Amino acid sequence: MTKKGWDEFEIGAMLRTFNGKIDDIAGTQQQDRDYSQSSSYTASVADWRLIKPIFNKDYCIDCQFCWVYCPDVSIISRDKKLIGVDMDHCKGCGICVEVCPTNPKSLLMFQEQSDEESEIANWPKKDEGEA
Amino acid sequence: MSEMKKIKNLKEFSTSADRFEGANLLCPGCAHSIIVREVLNATNDDMVLSASTGCLEVCTAVYPYTSWDASWIHIGFENSSTAIAGAETMYKALKKKGRLKQPERTPKFVSFAGDGASYDIGFQWISGCMERGHNIMHVVLDNEVYANTGGQRSSSTPIGSSATTSPEGRNSYGEKRNKKDMLSIMAAHGIPYAAQVAPNKWKDMVKKIQHGLAVDGPVFINAVSPCTTEWKFDPKDTMNIADLATDSLVFPLYEIIDGHELNITYRPKNVVPVEEYLAAQGRFKHLFKDEYKYLIKEWQERVDAKWAYLQRREEARV
Amino acid sequence: MAFDKMELKDIEVWDGNHAAAQALRQCQIDVVAAYPITPSTPIVEGYAKFLADGYVEGEFVMVESEHAAMSGCIGAAAAGGRVATATSSQGLALMSETLYQASGMRLPIVLNLVNRALASPLNVNGDHSDMYMVRDSGWIQLDAFSPQEAYDLNLIAFKVAEDHDVRLPAIVNQDGFMTSHTAQGVSPLSDDVAYGFVGEYKPMNDMLDFEHPVTHGVQTEEDWHFEHKARQHNDLMTKVLPKIQTAFDDFEKLTGRKYNLVEKYDMDDADICVVCMGSSVETAREVATEMRAKGIKAGVVGIRVLRPIPFFEIIDALKDVKAIAALDRSSPNGAAGMLFNELAGALFNTDTKALLSGYVYGLGGRDLTKKHLVDLYTELQANVDAGKVTTKLQQFIGVRGPKLAYL
Repeated sequence: MTKKGWDEFEIGAMLRTFNGKIDDIAGTQQQDRDYSQSSSYTASVADWRLIKPIFNKDYCIDCQFCWVYCPDVSIISRDKKLIGVDMDHCKGCGICVEVCPTNPKSLLMFQEQSDEESEIANWPKKDEGEA
Repeated sequence: MSEMKKIKNLKEFSTSADRFEGANLLCPGCAHSIIVREVLNATNDDMVLSASTGCLEVCTAVYPYTSWDASWIHIGFENSSTAIAGAETMYKALKKKGRLKQPERTPKFVSFAGDGASYDIGFQWISGCMERGHNIMHVVLDNEVYANTGGQRSSSTPIGSSATTSPEGRNSYGEKRNKKDMLSIMAAHGIPYAAQVAPNKWKDMVKKIQHGLAVDGPVFINAVSPCTTEWKFDPKDTMNIADLATDSLVFPLYEIIDGHELNITYRPKNVVPVEEYLAAQGRFKHLFKDEYKYLIKEWQERVDAKWAYLQRREEARV
Repeated sequence: MAFDKMELKDIEVWDGNHAAAQALRQCQIDVVAAYPITPSTPIVEGYAKFLADGYVEGEFVMVESEHAAMSGCIGAAAAGGRVATATSSQGLALMSETLYQASGMRLPIVLNLVNRALASPLNVNGDHSDMYMVRDSGWIQLDAFSPQEAYDLNLIAFKVAEDHDVRLPAIVNQDGFMTSHTAQGVSPLSDDVAYGFVGEYKPMNDMLDFEHPVTHGVQTEEDWHFEHKARQHNDLMTKVLPKIQTAFDDFEKLTGRKYNLVEKYDMDDADICVVCMGSSVETAREVATEMRAKGIKAGVVGIRVLRPIPFFEIIDALKDVKAIAALDRSSPNGAAGMLFNELAGALFNTDTKALLSGYVYGLGGRDLTKKHLVDLYTELQANVDAGKVTTKLQQFIGVRGPKLAYL
């Protein structure tokens, strides 16, 4: 956000999350909310990441462990299905991969500059060593 | 009262529309935001929130950004409990006077604070709020250290932990005092509900938060919040450390109803030795030197004794 | 309405505390969060009793410390309603952290500050140490010299503080015991007229508006903090005094009682004057009249509004006098007194040749006697006659032992 002068903001350093009125926040998914520029939803921490998760839906069982344990609200689930990772908000902690129970995992960490398509094409096979 | 949100399983839980946003400034792998999400997603009711000065506060409301999708206030280090109690009191006043803008809503008032802000500097404020019977919930994000100021000991820091003001060294094994039993002190206020929770046990967490939000009166929640920075483990391991915390019974999960009725809410199938919990964290690394290994043994004995005590309390139904 | 109105006589016999409590009742405060401390306690006890007797509708929370009292007030005010409390001395010192937070968040809380000395040594009596301590906290500060004024200024404080162009908290000062516990005749307004003057509370950025969630109490560092503090200072410097003046004017129309940012007494042709605050103003007025009978043209300036400081009104009030005494009822502890410095700062770039001297008096409730003031006026006249300050610039009056004078 551009840095405003002293006479250009709300008194009390008060911030509003949304533009205008929002009726039912808990009943409105993020994509349907009119976030103001003051919501960190509109910001990005993508440049914090050194490694990133790549999601391979072929192995996902939609258990939602990654959704519930993501500290950064970056696992996007809709209608009980995992549909992707929010790469503006993911900090690359790797918790989602740790908690993923599938074999092979449906989420794996790669270098930030890796290419998603080719990594998915070369996805590891099932580890027969696991019970 | 509002209808309780139905959360039968994790799939159903995952349909929640989060009211806490990413691109906050918390460390990668921070458990605070996992706990906050689980608390907020446990209900669909409107929420009015407060936070004490600390990691959560300085990382989620740094001008010009807020990560909160519900009304939120921060005043100082010691008073998030009283801030939310003030808001709850105004709600009661305006309800009585017929001046609420949306009188049909059933807001919940929740305060978040770290262990420093709860066990130490905010202790009196929280005690006052619990004693006065405000309809609020105070959630401690207990990472057993002043993480925001760089790792000083709090009265929640356990024996043997190396903190910057109780560092391990040639003549010291680190913190000398045992962790304060805040949950018992809070329960002793006779509040309707006090519970210990952990982010890895999301279902137990949601159940307790829902119970806490449904009761009339003050609620105290102590949430273990593994800190990648100060506990010194890899950010990806936050949930693994939380698992070790609950499964070693270092953080037993239980609740105390009306100040006396104690229920254990999680019994690990395989109890993990305390040593494994300690070994996974850099803050306890020095305990594995020969001269300090007795501390690990003592720790196991303390955990065993506490677990036995909790079971006796539960069985006694007093 | 779920509460009863109170029938009041044209003139009631109230002390300053009861006068303030009655004003809080008539303003229909939504939430009072408070902690007892002498001599302010009867104000919040008064609200609690009115609540218990059904003369007001709201919530009273008796918290566990003054810090919690203001913390609760901040939470309540941010939620969106009319909030007040009262304290004194050590209580103010304990809550002082939160005073800056209340003003920084622009929450229009009204605090009745019943002025009392600060320990150590402990003392329950009146001086202005507490008032001075928080003068930079961003609160509007009004000063009542009598119970009537404590009543009137409470009504005015809410009207100004809650104005959406202002949205700043306000302190109404009155002297501990001398005003707070001294019963005098007070002419109250009827409940309806008083409430009509203050008006309905109009919420702004309220946390209980669930359709417009707000974040209060953010962190700002070097890239934003200065702008926010500048905005607050700007609003104090440019918006508040005109609003106070308007409120004074409206109040005069309603009651016939006229208030001024700076209260001048016999200043039109005065050669010498005393500038002071609190109940001392009335004593000084009485002595000034007596001095005039002796042929000495004495006047009094009472500071009605301490923050924002009425800089130009002070200059105007003092522009023609030849000698001025600034009376500070707080130990400056290593400096000139605050009022001395405020007056010096206001007058320095003007054409005045007035001689300014400072007096520290009345600490811990020590009486300021008429004899003290007679001596003081006599000293000022001697300064005028000599064409210079004949004493040290700072003197202590009313203290035992050898004369204390500095600077």
